Amino acid sequence: MDVFSPLFDAFALPFMSRALVVLVVLSLVAGLVGVLVNLRGLEFISDGLTHAVFPGIAIGFVWGGRDGLFLGAMIAALLAAVVLTLIVRRAVTTDAAIAIVFTAMFSVGVIVVSRETNYVGQLEQLLFGRLLTVSPTEVVQTIVICGVALLLVGLTLKEQVFRAFDRTYSAAAGFRPLVLDMLLNVAIALVVVAASNAVGNLLVLAVLIVPGAFARLVTQRVWWLFPLAAGFAGLCAWFGLALGYEASVNNGIDLPSGATVVLVLVAGYAVAFLVRLAVDRVRGGTVAGTAVARRAGPAPLRGRRATRAAAQVPRNSANSGVRH
Amino acid sequence: MNENPSQQSTTAPRETDADGETTVDSAHAPALRVAGASFAYGAAPALADINFEVAAGTAVAMIGPNGSGKSTLLKGILGLIARTAGTVEVLGASPAPAGTVGYVPQTDELDPQFPITLEQVVMMGRYRALGWLRLPGRRDRASVAEALEVVGLSHRAKTRFGELSGGQQQRGLLARAIASNPRLLLLDEPFNGLDQQNRDALIETVKRLKHDGVAVLVSTHDIELARAVCDCVLLLNGEQVAFGPLEQVLTLDNVQRAFHNVGIEMDEHTVVVPGHGGH
Repeated sequence: MDVFSPLFDAFALPFMSRALVVLVVLSLVAGLVGVLVNLRGLEFISDGLTHAVFPGIAIGFVWGGRDGLFLGAMIAALLAAVVLTLIVRRAVTTDAAIAIVFTAMFSVGVIVVSRETNYVGQLEQLLFGRLLTVSPTEVVQTIVICGVALLLVGLTLKEQVFRAFDRTYSAAAGFRPLVLDMLLNVAIALVVVAASNAVGNLLVLAVLIVPGAFARLVTQRVWWLFPLAAGFAGLCAWFGLALGYEASVNNGIDLPSGATVVLVLVAGYAVAFLVRLAVDRVRGGTVAGTAVARRAGPAPLRGRRATRAAAQVPRNSANSGVRH
Repeated sequence: MNENPSQQSTTAPRETDADGETTVDSAHAPALRVAGASFAYGAAPALADINFEVAAGTAVAMIGPNGSGKSTLLKGILGLIARTAGTVEVLGASPAPAGTVGYVPQTDELDPQFPITLEQVVMMGRYRALGWLRLPGRRDRASVAEALEVVGLSHRAKTRFGELSGGQQQRGLLARAIASNPRLLLLDEPFNGLDQQNRDALIETVKRLKHDGVAVLVSTHDIELARAVCDCVLLLNGEQVAFGPLEQVLTLDNVQRAFHNVGIEMDEHTVVVPGHGGH
């Protein structure tokens, strides 16, 4: 099978097989966690976490070299996840708070790295990853970190989906929002740590967000989202790695592996998006469009002037300051 | 109404037969007792000194204009916002015994794009009983099917929730609450924007629940509906205006006090009190 051999041959090399293991494990877990990020609309918070982890990576790297990197990243990630959960719970306008805190942390990371002599090379590694130089120990570390993240969301998956759909009823049913948010944010942070080492801090967000967005395009069935996102991410990781290797080794085009994987992810998403558009057009009217239009329709209240009052007073104005 | 002044027990009897159905014991504390209760959003006081009761098998309509505190009170009873004074007891216990309170929120608080079927939404009503970690089993699926049957939506079980009409969504959320076998059911403006068919279906379901011994507290600004299913009325307008049997509370004077700057349809007249606010 000559056509398919590039998909397999490269992985006979130990460093390529290590990269494959790291990336596939990471993709599967990022896919799962990413679906929840998508359902909850936590993309911006995830972005904040990737920024927050960076100073941890930088400080760990400067103090302990490669071995310190994971430890530093882990401490920063867990700290950030806790702080973030509390900010979102307390603050009224969370986006500004997240942006301020976490871009500040990112700057700290850049300053720490820049104090080092071999600054440019190291910064590049941290920002763009070093997939092909992953050591066997780091493979084990990645598997353990991803395994913990998988457990955190896997064991509370029905509660997480419940909260994503109806946070009020979920809280009323006794599932504490703070516990669920903390678990999810820690899981996201763990994925960010694992992915920062592999594809680099700047590309983490793609691994976390694109698979979930892809799954949303492909299915309307909630429990299918998770295997689809994970499977899509795993396949893209494999194709991306093989493509990067094939282009670099056999065709002389030097493709960085992490970025190639991300581009394959985005290309897969683009194809799914176009297919979805075409399908919706054939069906005559998008599912989204009808649902929104119906909701925008007037609610027939009984009292005539009550209708006017309702138009002036937002329905849940009394609750606008509450966070669950 | 079955009052129990002796207060001999802190937890009301809750019997479960072989099918997991709750049966009703008529001689126990009121399903819901709110006494001198005040609620606050953080530091901001929201409602003060609320006093009323809902007995098993009866329905209380909570009537008031928008922003009068109806949703706030429901969230206070659910324990979602802080109670700063007084007591809220469900079946004589505070906080409410696990799994005794069902809640039907307003559908417009939900994302219509969420990829989830009606059946899966109703299954969420079982999650409280399941608790953490456990997955739904055959008995849970049976409860879901039965709840959908009760609200007349069995044929829409596999439909995506957001594709249902507003009225069907409302009935679906009621089915979710029913699937949790509640003793007290809280409904937040369930009749908003419903067509006649869905209104009738919803009224029938509420009557059936009452007949089965469920206590119902329903917020609405529709007095006709209150008359159709409710025994007592709690009038709110940022504070408690009145509470009591329907015919005693729904006087023109009381209603004018509750709705002093919006109109309300009553006895085929639209009652409006002039001279307040910006009118």
